Amino acid sequence: MNGMTKNSPIWIAAAVLFAILPFIFQSGFALNILSQMGVFIIFALAYNMLLGQGGMLSFGHAIYFGLAGYFTAHFITLMGEEALPYFPISLIPLFGGLAGLICGIVVGYVSTRRAGTTFAMISLGFGELVTASTLILIAFFNGEEGIQTDRWVGPEPFGINYGSDIQVYYLIAIWCLLCMIAMFFLTKTPFGRMSNAVRDNAERVQFIGYNTQRVRWLAFALSSFFAGAAGSLHVMNYEHVGFETVSVAQSGLVLFMAYIGGVGHFIGPVLGAILITILNSTLSDLTEAWFLYLGLIFVVIVLFSPGGLAGIVMMHEPIWKTSPRLLASLVVPYIYGIATTLVALCGLIGMIEMLYYRSTTFSADTSTSIYGVTVDTASVVPWLVFIVVTGVGVYLCRMSYPGMAHSWNAVINDIKQRMVS
Amino acid sequence: MTTALQLKDVAKSFGNTQIIRDVDLDIAHGELHAMIGPNGAGKSTLFNLISGKYHVSGGTISFYDSEITNKEPYEISRMGLGRSFQVTNIFPRMSVYENLRCGVLWSTGHRYSFWHLVNRQRDVNERTEEVLEMIGLTGRRDVPAGMLSYSDQRALEIGITIAGDPKMIMLDEPTAGMSHSETEQAVALIRKVSKGKTLVMVEHDMGVVFDLADKISVLVYGEIIASDAPQNIRNNAAVQEAYLGTEQH
Ligand SMILES: Nc1ncnc2c1ncn2[C@@H]1O[C@H](COP(=O)(O)OP(=O)(O)OP(=O)(O)O)[C@@H](O)[C@H]1O
Ligand SMILES: [Mg+2]
Repeated sequence: MNGMTKNSPIWIAAAVLFAILPFIFQSGFALNILSQMGVFIIFALAYNMLLGQGGMLSFGHAIYFGLAGYFTAHFITLMGEEALPYFPISLIPLFGGLAGLICGIVVGYVSTRRAGTTFAMISLGFGELVTASTLILIAFFNGEEGIQTDRWVGPEPFGINYGSDIQVYYLIAIWCLLCMIAMFFLTKTPFGRMSNAVRDNAERVQFIGYNTQRVRWLAFALSSFFAGAAGSLHVMNYEHVGFETVSVAQSGLVLFMAYIGGVGHFIGPVLGAILITILNSTLSDLTEAWFLYLGLIFVVIVLFSPGGLAGIVMMHEPIWKTSPRLLASLVVPYIYGIATTLVALCGLIGMIEMLYYRSTTFSADTSTSIYGVTVDTASVVPWLVFIVVTGVGVYLCRMSYPGMAHSWNAVINDIKQRMVS
Repeated sequence: MTTALQLKDVAKSFGNTQIIRDVDLDIAHGELHAMIGPNGAGKSTLFNLISGKYHVSGGTISFYDSEITNKEPYEISRMGLGRSFQVTNIFPRMSVYENLRCGVLWSTGHRYSFWHLVNRQRDVNERTEEVLEMIGLTGRRDVPAGMLSYSDQRALEIGITIAGDPKMIMLDEPTAGMSHSETEQAVALIRKVSKGKTLVMVEHDMGVVFDLADKISVLVYGEIIASDAPQNIRNNAAVQEAYLGTEQH
């Protein structure tokens, strides 16, 4: 069956979901998170065209996102001042994409001549270069302040003026869907297949007629197009663009999204973008140590589940296909495993929070709030409590994990038996 | 008769060691040419020079009257030269079918297209199926290539090489490490895929060589000491001394 039409129910479901989400989550805060999610889904998928599909690890991909953002901000501002002819605001991601594409073609020409470590280093170099430029080329970047713009410009067809956040949400949602479909389509084209081939065995590709540098360059340019489209939507969402959008930190964040979600599956970066956007918006208000936790999540995924969240889910696909009952037999051991892990994490997080508070706060007041309870970090009692909780949690995990492994092996053996018989 | 491949004074050194010394070689269109020689003689290196993986240190190589010396591997491949590798060189994570399809795409003119769905291209599908059938892996089409048995991987290696329908096929030890019956199957496959094409093959199995080849070249220490019809090679004193007299590997 054809790869695109087979998936049309999924795209329709996604479209319906995008349409109704604002009715489910009605607060302005939630709407903002949803919009951010849309932007980062595009960006993470674009990033994965390099990392997952093409095998190129970039530490500087935010420059196409951010630069397209700056170009978009200037463009909208100039349109508002009527210094430029009117371009439909609803199509602004095409402008951002073009800006990203051009930057990607230029930088990619240099960086994609090499793969592997050299490529990664060059990407980092360009990332730092552009970040530094934001403080030097003030006329374009306006330093640390960044650029403010007003998205409410030009005619208002059907009352669409992007004056309200909900209109911006739908703009992002529609473009997010279009970009997802386009990027999925790309994986099914000759270019997409050869991009995978270059990732898996670049040497062999040369002997079947393909210039590997050309394949990588094309992947890089197309990826920059989508990163640019995401960047312009980011500006539409905030009506502001700052140096952090091009920064290496932003490049790292999109790397985290793609990797934690899973680079081996198309859906992976989507999951990663959703999860990290939610955590970023909620946890960053709750704890100062948010980046520490993000780093921990990343390390755990790299070490224990290199396929990311999507990899974990897809691991269960053969089980589900063989028999849903087999999958059900894993539920209880999983619940034990997750519950015991949560206990251990609860203690660990308590300690990290107290440590963080003590090392970053310079007031005489030594008490802070953890899990909604006021604790005195100078007293030994909370420390003891958290140490005990962690210890108990670890002890329980040592009981529950073998159970999970045992059930998993039993299920796999069962499937093997069925395949033989 | 058309000359398919012509080497003139081809030389290659790695650092100070000269591996290939002034090799001259003519291979006619349609010839089934075997290259034999002891381990380390430089057979694979010669393949790498012809197919563009390495640059020559001297001399010229031409392919159907076009000079290909020091061209990029993909340029040489596009001109119709397909090669396989001594150590299996496939796309292990992709299915057998996808492996072959990668080999088909350039020759069917799809190049870097990012505006066509690959599975909608009838020419690609037909050619891929054809090659799949030819190498006898139809039953394993959706298996990841890395999970195939060794001899199936070797068959796939040949499949990728011929997928783009090259004019000349170069196979580097296609039967190495195979059992007797697997070797027989491989020989049948090689015979089938090289029909109407020029074949150059490195091979250690003398049974295979004398069975398949119209002509044999003997490479010893980077020099071709004889290039002749099989019966003449068998009776050549220099060859017997240098190569056939010693134990096979
Ligand atoms: N890239 C390289 N750098 C340095 N030396 C090389 C390189 N490739 C091959 N050689 C050397 O060239 C010589 C010939 O190697 P080659 O692989 O061509 O031999 P061969 O005839 O194919 O042998 P075999 O029958 O074992 O495959 C060997 O001594 C090898 O070590
Ligand atoms: Mg060799």
